[in-house]
Amino acid sequence: MGYTDTLGADTDEDDDESLDLDFESDSDVVDDLDDQSFSPDCGSDVNDSSDTSSFGNDVTRSTFLEYDSKMDNFNPSSGDGTYDSDGIPKLQYNCLTTDQIYGLMVARLDRIQPIFQLSHGDIIVMLQKYAWSEERLLEDWTEDQENVLIACGLKVEKVLDGPRGIQTHSDFLCHICCESNKQKTFRLECGHEYCVECYEHYIKDKVPEGKIITCMSCSLALKNSDIDDILGDSSSLTLMKSSIKGFIQKHSKHYRWCPFVDCNCIIQISNISSLAEFPRLHLSPYVVCENQHRFCFKCGLEVHAPGDCHVAEQWVKLAQLECANLNWVLKNTKECPKCGVNIEKNGGCNHMTCQSCGYQFCWICEQCWTGHGGGFYECTHFKKDDKQGSADTKNSLRKYTFYYKLFSEHENSVKLDWTLGLTVEQKVKALQENMGISWIETQFLSESIRALIDGRTVLKWSFPVAYYADPSHNLTKIFVDNQALLVSAVEDLSKLLQIKEPQNIIDKKLEFYNRARFVQTRGKALAGCGRDLLCKGICVPFK
Amino acid sequence: MSLKRITKELNDLGRDPPTSCSAGPVGDDLYHWQASIMGPPDSPYAGGVFFLSIHFPTDYPFKPPKISFTTKIYHPNINANGNICLDILKDQWSPALTISKVLLSICSLLTDANPDDPLVPEIAHIYKTDRSKYEATAKEWTKKYAV
Repeated sequence: MGYTDTLGADTDEDDDESLDLDFESDSDVVDDLDDQSFSPDCGSDVNDSSDTSSFGNDVTRSTFLEYDSKMDNFNPSSGDGTYDSDGIPKLQYNCLTTDQIYGLMVARLDRIQPIFQLSHGDIIVMLQKYAWSEERLLEDWTEDQENVLIACGLKVEKVLDGPRGIQTHSDFLCHICCESNKQKTFRLECGHEYCVECYEHYIKDKVPEGKIITCMSCSLALKNSDIDDILGDSSSLTLMKSSIKGFIQKHSKHYRWCPFVDCNCIIQISNISSLAEFPRLHLSPYVVCENQHRFCFKCGLEVHAPGDCHVAEQWVKLAQLECANLNWVLKNTKECPKCGVNIEKNGGCNHMTCQSCGYQFCWICEQCWTGHGGGFYECTHFKKDDKQGSADTKNSLRKYTFYYKLFSEHENSVKLDWTLGLTVEQKVKALQENMGISWIETQFLSESIRALIDGRTVLKWSFPVAYYADPSHNLTKIFVDNQALLVSAVEDLSKLLQIKEPQNIIDKKLEFYNRARFVQTRGKALAGCGRDLLCKGICVPFK
Repeated sequence: MSLKRITKELNDLGRDPPTSCSAGPVGDDLYHWQASIMGPPDSPYAGGVFFLSIHFPTDYPFKPPKISFTTKIYHPNINANGNICLDILKDQWSPALTISKVLLSICSLLTDANPDDPLVPEIAHIYKTDRSKYEATAKEWTKKYAV
């Protein structure tokens, strides 16, 4: 699939503490955050207005997936209700990076500094210890300051009032590497002094862990400034980033890494309560990161409409389970040429008798055994092509294989369309440069490719829904008809995107719009239909 | 670099050997040592001599040494392969620790087991629920394997 689940298991440690990053309660930080709020329409605002004149607003904004309609009310300040016009809960979120999250933490330091009366470096060490939970830190701090300082390694019992930091000597014997003639050393107030080379080695090993780095001999903490002194400029930032990663993992209710390969975006949900609304409505909280990767915040999969998270989860589980089964069956069995039952060959003889229908055939050529030429262990016939199995839905494995093939076919198509998307981007550039037309004029191409990919994704995830749905129900039949309509809409649009000649592309702008819009409306219809199946209990994912 | 440090530790052990333990290289390879620990007198391991094997990683002392029991021992934090569950041999390792300090820690682990973080849950369960049975079995094993 086109994604990897980088966050394998959610930690259950996620306690319900209110987070430091709950900026809504802090008026001045909200401003910071609003600047960084991700606007999915950024850059295309101009485009919207220009297109509205000819095609109406809903043409350019894809409307068939939940997130788009939410986006219209994305800005927290502009939304008043908790649902949008379609009855879909509004999701408020930000797209951040570890750098940005750390930046926001640092931005808060000035505000909390008066409480602690300590340097920023000290407070960062304490926050690191408390997994960046200001509230828990403050709670402990008001209870017992001394204890917090000791626990964080900012205070030790035995302190030699010596200098702190990098020292120079003429001949120092380091007890770690046991080398003499060391000139540069490092020490904290505890007086444990070792050569800078050893400290470098030690810190480099510790940085990816993201934990507080202490003196090699005691629990006194090294501050960011110490780390930068030893390793060079801004090395501590790497440590901070590692620490933030731990923080995100711990607060998986509010934060989720973008599951796409090599994407470093983190989505932070600010109105966590609305998240609970989605499963009830058989919807999923789709979010989009700064790199335009769209995924489900709840399960971390790509957009899986019309299926809800439950369908997606069961389907993925089934795929993992059946993958092994299917491989074994394909490798070790053959279908009886007559009744289609899967037969495992458990001995050397090629004379097979089907236990199910009693048909006798040769294992090698799959022909009837009577009149089979040659000796018993020799087959003189060439093997015929594998017979196409009829779609016998009574056989569950077959049914699954049938849907899985469709699913994976569309998955492949989505991948290919991504590549196509890159080509289209180049085409757009070429168009702009060669024909001297503006960026806005070529925007329809990127929008078409987006519609195509979205359409295919909906199609792909409609197969799990079809697999789990009751095939006899009338609504399922409508759903299947809708699938067929979307398939043809998607293929038509796909064909259009294969056009190579730039002039032709420009000439067909209207057709592009119409096809893309058709895909969007068909996609929306299919998604709605699928949701209907789920809501009415016609599609029930089983284990 | 690690060789210099290992040599120094070896010299220190020779000059000032810790009570109840000893350690030294097996052959010419300074990265592979053998150590022995006398069962602490106030424990069911009293009277036994337990052998351990020590492997130093090339980036010692920045990475902890690999230490395991070669003598069979009945203990909640030591399994049938002789692996030891001890924090300072894992994430709590510090380059300032030495083999001598680690061996002393293992000695105190023999006296005070840590059944809440067990390597062998069955032994830990007996340790917590039927202390005398645990002590009897540990004594029996000591007699059988370590005397």
